[in-house]
Amino acid sequence: MTLTQKRLLILLAIIMVAAVLGRLAVRTVLNMLLGGALFGGNFL
Amino acid sequence: MSKEKTKKKGCVMWGFIYTGAFIAAFAISAIIKLTYHPLGDKYTVHWDETIGKVYTDLSYGDGEANKFDLYVPADATQETYGLAVYLHAGGFTSGDKRDDADMLKWLCSKGYVAAGINYTLFSEENPNANIYTQSIEIRDSIPFITAEAEKLGYKLDRMAISGGSAGHCLAMLYAYRDAEISPLPVKLVFGAVGPSCFYPEDWGIFGFDQNPEAAAAMFSVMSGKQITPDMFGTAAYDEAIKDISAVTWVHENSAPTVCAYGAYDKVQAFPASIRLDVALTEHQVPHEYIVFPHSGHGLQNDNTLYGTYMDKVKEYLDNYLGNAAGQQ
Repeated sequence: MTLTQKRLLILLAIIMVAAVLGRLAVRTVLNMLLGGALFGGNFL
Repeated sequence: MSKEKTKKKGCVMWGFIYTGAFIAAFAISAIIKLTYHPLGDKYTVHWDETIGKVYTDLSYGDGEANKFDLYVPADATQETYGLAVYLHAGGFTSGDKRDDADMLKWLCSKGYVAAGINYTLFSEENPNANIYTQSIEIRDSIPFITAEAEKLGYKLDRMAISGGSAGHCLAMLYAYRDAEISPLPVKLVFGAVGPSCFYPEDWGIFGFDQNPEAAAAMFSVMSGKQITPDMFGTAAYDEAIKDISAVTWVHENSAPTVCAYGAYDKVQAFPASIRLDVALTEHQVPHEYIVFPHSGHGLQNDNTLYGTYMDKVKEYLDNYLGNAAGQQ
C-alpha cells in the first residue's frame, strides 16, 4: 500500500467518524434540551 | 528543496486536509440530522388554490391574541364538512398558529375545514393568563369558527381537535371537559406530549415530587388558583386542579383519542400520560397511546414510531371524522 493510499484510507475513516460524531452531537444537544436516550431508536 | 522538507510539507498539507474533512463531515452530518424530515412528503402538501384557501387573523374575541386562521378546501360542493382544529405548542407562553401551517394545510387537503387558533399567552403583559383562561378562549372560539366557515359556504357538523404540547393539553381539555357544550360534536382528539394532569409526584423532572412549595407555586400559576403545599393529596387539590386536568374529565363517551408521548420527556411529565392511558382504557374509549421509548418532548429519536403515530391519526380521522366526501 502506497503512502497516498494510506492517507486516503485515513481520510475516509476521519470522514466516517466525523459524520457519526456530528449526528451524535445533535442528538446529545436535543436530548439535553428535550430529554431522550443517547442510543436506540433512530440511527444515532 | 530537500527530501525531508518536501515530506514535512506533505504532512502539513494532509494535516489540513484531515482537519478540513473532519469539520466538513461533522457539520454536514449535523445539518442533515437537524433538517431531515423523517416522514418525507407523506404528511405535507404542496399548497395552492387547487387544495384550498386560507383566511388569516379572523377575530373571535376582544383580546389581541383572539385570532384564528381558517383553511377551507377548494371543493366547496359538500353538504357538510368536518372541522379540524390544531392548537400550537409553546409551553403556554409562546408560539403562534402559523407554526402549524403545514399540519393545517395537510388537514385541509384531506377535505376538512382546518383552523389554527391563537390564545392569550402567559407573559409579563398578561400575567393573569393561565391554562384555564386559555382553555376558555379556545372553547369560546369554536362558535366563531363555525359561523365564519358557514359564511364562507362551508357548513360544519362535526369536529376534531388536536395540538402539540401545550396545544395538546388545551385540545384534550376541550375534548374531554367541554365537548358537551360544544356547538359541534367532538369526534376525535389527537396530539403529542400534552400534559394531561398535574400531580406533583408525576413531575419529578422539575423536582416537584421533592419540593411541594415549588409545585404549589407552579401549579398555582398554571391553574390561576391559589394552591398551597398542604393541599396536595387532598380532595381540595383535586377540585382546584380539575379545570386544567384533562384526565379527570375522561368518561365512557369521551372522544376517541390518538396520543404520543416520549418516555424521556424533560418538559412535561411522562407519568401523567400513563394516567391518561389508564383513564381511557378504564372508560373503554377507543384510543392509541403511543410511547416513544428513546425520545423526549420532541419525539425526536423514534422516527418509525412517528410514522406510526401519523398513520394512526389518519386512520382515526378517516374513521371518526369522516373522509373528504363527508362520509363517516
